[in-house]
Amino acid sequence: MEKKLSEMGYEEEGIVIKILGGLRYKIAGMGIRKGKGIKMMTKQPIKGPVVVTVDRSNTSIGLGLADKILVQVKK
Amino acid sequence: MWEIAVELTIDQRWDLVDRIAKETIEVGAYEPTLRDTLADVTVKPLTGIPFAIAVIYGFWMFFSGFAGFFTDGFFVKIFDVHFLPWIQSVFPGKGTWLYFIFVGDPSAETCFESFGVLTSGLFLPIGVVLPAIVAFYLVFAFLEDVGYLPRLAVLVDGVLHKIGLHGYAIIPTILSLGCNVPGVTACRPLESRKQRFMMITLLGVFIPCAAQIGMMEGLIPHLIGWVFLTLAIGYFAVGFILNKVWPGESPEILMDVPPYQKPTWRNIGRKMGTRTSHFLMEAVPFFLLGCLIVAVMYLTGAMDWLGNALAPALTGVFGVPEETVAPLVAGFLRKDLAIGLLGGIELTTWQMFTSVVLLCIYFPCLATFALMLKEEKWKEFLATMLVLVVTVFVFGGLLNLIGIGLGIA
Amino acid sequence: MGQANVGKSAFFNRLTGAKVAESNYPGTTVDFTKGHMLFQGEYVDLIDVPGTFSLQPKDKAEEVAVKMLGEEKEALVICIIDASKVERGLYLALEIIEKGYPVIIALNMWDMAKSVNVKVDTEKLEQILGVPVVPTVATRGEGFKELVSRMGQAAPVTIEEIIRSVGNSSRTHH
Ligand SMILES: Nc1nc2c(ncn2[C@@H]2O[C@H](COP(=O)(O)OP(=O)(O)OP(=O)(O)O)[C@@H](O)[C@H]2O)c(=O)[nH]1
Ligand SMILES: [Mg+2]
Repeated sequence: MEKKLSEMGYEEEGIVIKILGGLRYKIAGMGIRKGKGIKMMTKQPIKGPVVVTVDRSNTSIGLGLADKILVQVKK
Repeated sequence: MWEIAVELTIDQRWDLVDRIAKETIEVGAYEPTLRDTLADVTVKPLTGIPFAIAVIYGFWMFFSGFAGFFTDGFFVKIFDVHFLPWIQSVFPGKGTWLYFIFVGDPSAETCFESFGVLTSGLFLPIGVVLPAIVAFYLVFAFLEDVGYLPRLAVLVDGVLHKIGLHGYAIIPTILSLGCNVPGVTACRPLESRKQRFMMITLLGVFIPCAAQIGMMEGLIPHLIGWVFLTLAIGYFAVGFILNKVWPGESPEILMDVPPYQKPTWRNIGRKMGTRTSHFLMEAVPFFLLGCLIVAVMYLTGAMDWLGNALAPALTGVFGVPEETVAPLVAGFLRKDLAIGLLGGIELTTWQMFTSVVLLCIYFPCLATFALMLKEEKWKEFLATMLVLVVTVFVFGGLLNLIGIGLGIA
Repeated sequence: MGQANVGKSAFFNRLTGAKVAESNYPGTTVDFTKGHMLFQGEYVDLIDVPGTFSLQPKDKAEEVAVKMLGEEKEALVICIIDASKVERGLYLALEIIEKGYPVIIALNMWDMAKSVNVKVDTEKLEQILGVPVVPTVATRGEGFKELVSRMGQAAPVTIEEIIRSVGNSSRTHH
């Protein structure tokens, strides 16, 4: 199933399939890119950021930015 | 910038990385350890938020306990019981201007009240501020080393988002609670000009440094919570307004969260060392100079003249006596000294509270002021100064009105 | 050069005896610092820069690092990679190699990588990239002798060569 990163639930895992706009240049160096496995670690209340795990590193991403990342979620 | 021709696109480069990684990296099975569990627990909101509150509370308890222990239990005794009576009796020429400058008020019973270069000028930095600095950086260096700060940033992101900043802003804010100078430089990792401008302004106006906090702890431990609350309200209120009126973007947080590390004592010790010696070398001369200037201004009548000139603003708008002009002057050199000098003035509790808040916000210290000039564009710098002046009058006026309204001014 | 929080400042302090702040959060260093280190019998300049995830800076601190690289065209670059996060470190290293700089790679935090059970075949990595690769632990000074002694071997390589050698090594492998 395809979802925005911001819509993924706790502990859900998936593969990044698309990163919209200029964001992909910004996060390329952080290891988040098309085809990469990604896991949701936490989500914060009051529209706080998500924290995801990619290649053993944790990255915190604002919710609006997470909207721009599309993920194929594993069932 | 470069002439070399062959460059890959992002995807090509990542493909190459993946191919290299496949040949050279082997990721073995790995059981999560205590470190990972802690990392998890302290960043998930349900457990992380109570944990963060506990950390901040613990930080404060350690800070006030440590500083209080050394200041009240040790330095106050040495300075007030032994040093002050001794220097008051051995310094020659009681009643002369030289005596007034170096020893101050001959009838003073504490070094808070004497105002002399060798009495208040030595006691305040060494007896009151030094323990506070040591206490602050001991805990702070530990938190930095362990790697707690990025997690705190994640947890407070939502709140700071409401005023156009994001969680990373907590790092410059906490750094500023130590000293505004590294706090202001630490704004650079914020992505947009708008965020950096807002942050530098908020830090310069509302965040007192460890030296000031230590001085408050020594002088008005019972009021310090109210001072913090007032400053925090100001931080968010002014942040909210700036976010609405200042043009520019407010990008969201995008930050690496590194794993926890065992703190290394060598590193913590080194940081403590550099920060403490920096304080002793930079601050003590300014304390002495500040006391000297204040004493000279009293002797020449300049202080009285200035007090009279500013009386309409001081008593009229802020409701504090005109004697507070001396701390205001000293505050241009060192704000902690300024707060310390309040100790020698007759003030009601409410006036003391108002004066401390005003001293915190009316001017960033000289070093921060100079740094703002460097980090900000002219337009931004002027705006920062405007915010500062407006805040002083609005806050000072409001506090006075509230005091009058409650009948406690 | 290196990404955020990989131990660049710890490296710099070790090599020059300076006291730049090291902390466990990204963005500790926001400005460059110059120092001197002994290399092949003479003192040379060493510059500590803020961390940057790529050569497309996303904030003012990263800008300082990228600008410094652009200005120091003659520089030898010590590329510091977190050994437990090699992939993304290599991404930046490749970018720097593409610009034609002579590079030596330090796989720092070797101890951390070990503790999370990530193994890196440094010899093979060296073969593929054609630049020296040295495992280090900056906080304890491990691997620094080797690093300094091999700095002289850093030479520019081209991306085509790297692409070719990955191809070769994967063919012999399977
Ligand atoms: N376990 C381990 N920790 C290390 C090593 N090298 C550095 N550290 C720690 O990693 C953290 C980051 O080190 P820094 O030297 O500040 O990293 P930096 O690359 O300069 O970081 P920025 O300036 O923020 O980009 C510190 O807490 C260091 O003590 C290492 O080899 N092993
Ligand atoms: Mg650094």
